[in-house]
Amino acid sequence: MAAKKLRRAMLSQELCERLSRHQITTCQDFLRLSFLELMKVTGQSYYDVRKLLCKVSRACAPKMQTAYEMKLRKSVNPSSAFLSTTLHSLDEVLHGGVPCGSLTEITGPPGCGKTQFCIMASVLATLPVSMGGLDGAVIYIDTESAFSAERLIEIAGNRFPTYFDSEEKLFCMTCSIHLYRELTCGSVLKRITSLEEEIISKKVKLIIVDSIASVVRKEFDTKLQGNLIERSNFLARGASVLKYLAEEFSIPVILTNQITTSLSNGLAIQADLVSPADDLSLSEGASGSGKRKSGCVTAALGNTWSHSVNTRLILQYHDLLTRQLLVAKSPVAPFSAFFYTIEKSGLVLQVCQKLLCTPLLQRSDGKDQTNLTWEGTNPALQTIRVRNTTLKDTFLDAALPSTTGETPSNTSCL
Amino acid sequence: MQRDVGSLPLAPAVRARLVSAGFQSVQELLETGPCGLSKEIGISKEEALEVLQVVRQECHGDATRTTARSGASRKCTALELLEEEQAQGFIITFCSALDNILGGGVQLTKITEVCGAPGVGKTQLCMQLAVDVQIPECFGGVAGEAVFIDTEGSFIVDRVVDIAAACVQHCHLIAEAHQEEDQLKALETFSVESILSHIYCFRCRDYIELLAQVYLLPDFLSEHSKVRLVVVDGIAFPFRHEFEDLSLRTRLLNGLAQQLIIVANDHKSAVILTNQMTTRIGQSQSTLVPALGESWGHAATVRLIFHWDNSQRLATLYKSPSQKESTVPYHITVSIPFGLEIASCKGIFRHTDKSVNYVFLVLLFSSLMNITGNTGMSPDLLIFCTFSL
Repeated sequence: MAAKKLRRAMLSQELCERLSRHQITTCQDFLRLSFLELMKVTGQSYYDVRKLLCKVSRACAPKMQTAYEMKLRKSVNPSSAFLSTTLHSLDEVLHGGVPCGSLTEITGPPGCGKTQFCIMASVLATLPVSMGGLDGAVIYIDTESAFSAERLIEIAGNRFPTYFDSEEKLFCMTCSIHLYRELTCGSVLKRITSLEEEIISKKVKLIIVDSIASVVRKEFDTKLQGNLIERSNFLARGASVLKYLAEEFSIPVILTNQITTSLSNGLAIQADLVSPADDLSLSEGASGSGKRKSGCVTAALGNTWSHSVNTRLILQYHDLLTRQLLVAKSPVAPFSAFFYTIEKSGLVLQVCQKLLCTPLLQRSDGKDQTNLTWEGTNPALQTIRVRNTTLKDTFLDAALPSTTGETPSNTSCL
Repeated sequence: MQRDVGSLPLAPAVRARLVSAGFQSVQELLETGPCGLSKEIGISKEEALEVLQVVRQECHGDATRTTARSGASRKCTALELLEEEQAQGFIITFCSALDNILGGGVQLTKITEVCGAPGVGKTQLCMQLAVDVQIPECFGGVAGEAVFIDTEGSFIVDRVVDIAAACVQHCHLIAEAHQEEDQLKALETFSVESILSHIYCFRCRDYIELLAQVYLLPDFLSEHSKVRLVVVDGIAFPFRHEFEDLSLRTRLLNGLAQQLIIVANDHKSAVILTNQMTTRIGQSQSTLVPALGESWGHAATVRLIFHWDNSQRLATLYKSPSQKESTVPYHITVSIPFGLEIASCKGIFRHTDKSVNYVFLVLLFSSLMNITGNTGMSPDLLIFCTFSL
């Protein structure tokens, strides 16, 4: 919209020519100037310039719609508002599943299951609508070369054995997953910006970028001056392009992120608790090496990126076998935690183990709940448990009841 | 009449000609007339006529400004202002602690900025206010409509539907408790559909669309004169990338702020902006500060910062011309300082049906308000818990 040529904004021919002599050809150039500059450039009086401004604004301003119209449009097509993850409790909490039209981020330590989640999601997107899928193609942008086609077939075969009963169906499914290997930031950005036509021609219903953090962290070393700004610029631009695609075509976008060690005391926002020696609170520690000094592990890519994504799911280790999925940021869901394991058929949610479950967690209808609500915190600073800490913590873990937030002491605190 | 010709808002070329022809004051121009003017400075008669019309408009404006003692649009005494302010309504947020520190709620004719870390509840507050502004006057609301300008894509209609349904139920309960004529009448037109159809949404994808939309706002608001709230959700997002020239960004932001102040004043509406937090890296520490720089801090009249303290959400009033700085906690779970009673009520709030949950909460709150009579005990929750029940 902003790059619209002034000619198409219904300005007169001679005015357009006059403006182009001053290198003003698009709406963007026009609206950036102040009143005085516009008067000088167009040679018209203040009131006329005001009218011109309104005309040009009308050409590139967005259309108005009331919330009611938006709701009606959604209710006409209810099944296409979410991609169901077939993880029942998660879908319930998220009001249907991974939302369409916004960015969802999956972050966690290495080996926790992020790529598995993405592969599972790509299978789900190709399923027909009657089975909860989106009946469309998938674009998978792989920056770590972690995608395995064999695993894809294994998940599909084991999760939906009745549907994928023939070679042909599997073949069909794999045909609709388009894989792109991009290894640099520039190529990722180029690929994302050129996706529009492909989405239309191939009837794409899901975009996955696995992982956005690896390319960014390879190329931008935040210790060098100026790199931090460039990195934020790249991320913001990528986020806005992806948001545009997600909204325009009403499809979900899944991104994966990594973790970093933040050397400040993580939980405190005022970093005056950081000792002067730790002056690199934003630096990338070695990812996944666990706790270091007083540091803690949080999602990578910083605070600005946490603003850009709409939903954040954190995967972390819990004990030797089970892992935990946290809903850390969501516009429709409260903080929740689920246990899962990774099996042949992908991710499988676990019912809460008796060993770790206190009676307070049981719902009044007597069922053990897998949906544990817990007192969450700032999604950008939420600490994540990595593999070697879980061994230590499993048996000393008095922390678990307090993270599930239903102890009586909470009720008396304000 | 003695106004200098060079100060008139004419086209620069015409102005240059007038000055070089020797015209100095407006009086001379008016005496010359259009035909004489066109001959003297070499422009067509139509152009000369336009010049004189502009001149007359300006002079008329000047005259009314100098002769009128009061009643002109921008000038009044402090007493008149006081009466206006006292009669003005607030847009309540349904969280009494937050309303208290704001002095009653979100004020009309002022710009309020809400800054906060990601996921802390800024968009939820905006959606809440877009519903609350529509509460009829007999329930203590402002009975206005809302404009929602969304730059981040975080406006979720389903959430607004939930909030609107809860608000309507709340009003129904109040009306049933009091059984007043005008309240029951107002409820007939106050429904979820009507609330949704009075929220006007614009989705701006970059800063140019945002600028364009704000330029068009005055016209839109004159057509929809009942609008009392303008929300810009995410003023930081479009301005934080693509700007190599920071001075251009500052200029555009200042222009935007001025436009919004004019909109707020002329149309008696409240303007809410949400901002992000950014990390400022100091010598030996780094702190989270509101984004967009120091000069943007001047744009808003009232500034609220939402932040986390471990797992507790806090709201801090950071800047206000009339209230003092204070911090209040707000919860997502039920937490009222009556201890025991809540332990037994917990079972009720675990009901799976969300609307039933909310009804119980509201009953509790309204009965508590009656008991406490707004004296000091401030149950600081309320609509923040409907967000995530």
